[in-house]
Amino acid sequence: MSAKAAIVEARGVSRVYPMPAGPVEALREVSLTVEPGDYVAISGPSGCGKSTLLHLLGCVDTPTSGSLLFEGRSVLTMREEERSRIRLHRIGFVFQRFYLLPMLTAWENVELVQSEAGMPAAERRARTLELLEYVGLAERAGHLPSQLSGGEMQRVAIARALANRPGLVLADEPTGELDDETGEQIGDLFDRVNADGTTLVIVTHNPALAARASRRLAMRSGRLAASPAMARP
Amino acid sequence: MSPLQFAGRSLYRQPARAILGLTGVAVVGALLFDMLMLSRGLIVSFRDLLESTGFDVRVTATEALPGLGPAVADAAAATDELRGLPELAAVVPVRFGGAAVETRDKKTRQVAIIGSETRRRGEWRLVEGADLGDGTDGGRPDMVVNRTLAREEALAPGSIVRLASTLPGREFRVTGVVEFPFEATGESMAGVTLRGFTLAFPTARRDEADLLLVASQPGVGTDAAVAAIRHARPDLHAFSIDEVLERLRHAEFSYFRQVSFVLATIASFFALLLVTTLLTVSVNQRLGEVAALRALGFSRRRITLDLLAESALLVGGGGIAAIPLGLLLARGLDSILRQMPDLPSRLHFFVFEPRALALHLGFLVLAALIAAAYPVILAARLPIAATLRRESIS
Amino acid sequence: MSARLRVLFLVLLVAHPAAGLAASEAVGQPVAEILVSRGLLQERGLSVGQIVMLSADARGAGARPFRIAGVYEPTPDPSRFTAKRLEARLHLPDLLALTAEPGEAGVADAVGAINVALEDPSDAGAFARELGARAPGVSVVRAAAGDDEHFMIIERFHVAISVVTMIGSTAFLLALMVIRADERREIAGLLRLLGLRRRRILLQALLEGLCIAAAGAVFGVLLAAATQGAVNAFFQWRYDTTLVFLRVTPAIAARCVALALPLGVMAGLLASWTLLRRPVLDLLRR
Repeated sequence: MSAKAAIVEARGVSRVYPMPAGPVEALREVSLTVEPGDYVAISGPSGCGKSTLLHLLGCVDTPTSGSLLFEGRSVLTMREEERSRIRLHRIGFVFQRFYLLPMLTAWENVELVQSEAGMPAAERRARTLELLEYVGLAERAGHLPSQLSGGEMQRVAIARALANRPGLVLADEPTGELDDETGEQIGDLFDRVNADGTTLVIVTHNPALAARASRRLAMRSGRLAASPAMARP
Repeated sequence: MSPLQFAGRSLYRQPARAILGLTGVAVVGALLFDMLMLSRGLIVSFRDLLESTGFDVRVTATEALPGLGPAVADAAAATDELRGLPELAAVVPVRFGGAAVETRDKKTRQVAIIGSETRRRGEWRLVEGADLGDGTDGGRPDMVVNRTLAREEALAPGSIVRLASTLPGREFRVTGVVEFPFEATGESMAGVTLRGFTLAFPTARRDEADLLLVASQPGVGTDAAVAAIRHARPDLHAFSIDEVLERLRHAEFSYFRQVSFVLATIASFFALLLVTTLLTVSVNQRLGEVAALRALGFSRRRITLDLLAESALLVGGGGIAAIPLGLLLARGLDSILRQMPDLPSRLHFFVFEPRALALHLGFLVLAALIAAAYPVILAARLPIAATLRRESIS
Repeated sequence: MSARLRVLFLVLLVAHPAAGLAASEAVGQPVAEILVSRGLLQERGLSVGQIVMLSADARGAGARPFRIAGVYEPTPDPSRFTAKRLEARLHLPDLLALTAEPGEAGVADAVGAINVALEDPSDAGAFARELGARAPGVSVVRAAAGDDEHFMIIERFHVAISVVTMIGSTAFLLALMVIRADERREIAGLLRLLGLRRRRILLQALLEGLCIAAAGAVFGVLLAAATQGAVNAFFQWRYDTTLVFLRVTPAIAARCVALALPLGVMAGLLASWTLLRRPVLDLLRR
């Protein structure tokens, strides 16, 4: 069996934010490798740097020091346009606050990123339908976000994140604004997404969601520690 | 989804804001369009008036405008000499004066009197009756009157007009009713022959003309006619219509040019400031969305195009609505300014020109770009991670 | 045309230093004096004490020497401010002698107009009628109020512009107030949920709107007062006049504030009311 290259490889990355009251070290020499097919959950108290790490992994931000490779290429040497292209084609994001565009329907929200990626119209239509069926919302395709519940909005957001067949999906507190039951439904959906071959990295302080991951990592004060639980399958 | 479609949806999402913004741009844009029309309106209108007389050159004794300087002495000889020039098709001497005329109720009224020879081309347009003849009827020279005088003194062809400013009062016989190109609203005007003029103003010097109206030969051109006159009679001052207008543009009409410039500048600044404010506030309210789109892979270029499209829709939509609104407003403003006394009734301050429309559309394009500049900078330079973090906390 | 206007343009043509005519004085012939306007002095590079030639004829025939005794600033004429004031003032006998044709009878006794100042200006109408009846052939008119009419029309024009500007700015103001109200949507919903009445929230909106409108109106008046100097300076330079084109008077400032305050308050109230009409839960929903 040939070893696949890691999707993301962070080595000793730090992120320091200059603040008026003094610099804040949000991440301190964090090293993490995410392999294809991984399901990683990162937990920790508020302000420990979970989201910061997620943003670095997703090429939304760049480290102050250290090395960060995405699919073997250094993120630090990339220009913003290139990182933008990677985010559009290779990474999917799911946000705590969903961030669906309120003036677009569920269908249009999912189709938007495909259109931006240059996918032909016929292919977009087929893919959008496929994704909405995948998340169980095909019959709500024409509804605006204001007409959807929180769980439904998050499912649309997940469909949007999968639209361009990314190699990596990053989710930042995806159940943060949902009740337990709805959170479970989202968890089930993530399980299916990972089972179908998509690499997942989730930031959460929902223990039930974190328990579903094959790798559980803990963060504290900007540093990463592996959980003594779950070995890799 | 194209940037325009996206922008349309963004505006549609907040319909009250969009409608109010469009309305504001339309109203201010109408004002701006009007100021563009005002900047050259007087000149264009005055040119039309001057050209309507059929004379393209004016000759005076000095560089003063016709009627405001010394008269041309030995007018008959000057007229004959100029008529001998092959470049000229017609030369007509004209005199201006003001006299008191007895009214029906035995009072007097001021009447502006134009004296011209009977070989006319365009000093006035006959509306009713007959034009001036050379003879006199029972010692009464011919006179044509304008509609105002005719209406207010119940004059018609055959009526007698008696001057109160001569002793004894000189009488004239009305032969017709005419329209003078430069008559002001409510102004009483009359036209007489040159001989009739000397009878109306016995103390005025004879053989003088306040103005010589000249028409160039077809195909020769105004400039050639002016050059010929200047060569033949360097003591006289010949003006083409362009030269008269250029002078008026720098002097008498300059105030309205200045005012239109000042108001247009203020209106532009106002519109820019407010559209920029609307867009900036709109972007500030959507920072989370913008950051999310950037995180999803939307490029800065795409975000910029979306905002430019939104600005274009606001400014463009309002600006296009401003055109019919501006034309309507111009009619109202023109009707106010035309109430000024002593202004030719056919003179307009606001005149539509394709140039004004082109400038207006050009401004719209510029305004859309400038108004979007700051919001674009805000959105394009947005720190994605920090914004997402801040939005999550808030 | 009055003889005075003729002289106006005679000076333009033939005013030149008449150095040779200084000899006239040397042999005891006095040279009559004139005053010239500042504009004419500057335009032709003249100076006080200089002797110039004036003629009633465009070709310069019959020119006579005059000494420039002084310079005067013509009273600014708002209806002619765009025109250059190139003019001179002569003693009436000198003007009549200059403009008369040789052998013209009665020239020393003929003028274009006589200006009359009455002890009681309110008698002007009656005086004009009586004099007109007594002197046939003479036109007697009150000093023209036509200039006032010019300015009334200009004022109407500017008022019309102001109205249009106010309509446009009201639309924008409403848009900004709608945005402001929308930003407070959740807070308004929360307050309603807690039991506060609409009236209470509207009162708060009214007070806020009043403060913003007052501050904005005062700022606008101060800005106008600050820029009026620049506007006047520009036009005074452009037209070489001492006329004041723009003046922010206390009455105008009060009128601006009186218009701006209710507009601002009404816009804020209207925007808040359209928000508060909605059901509470709608306000709280994202």
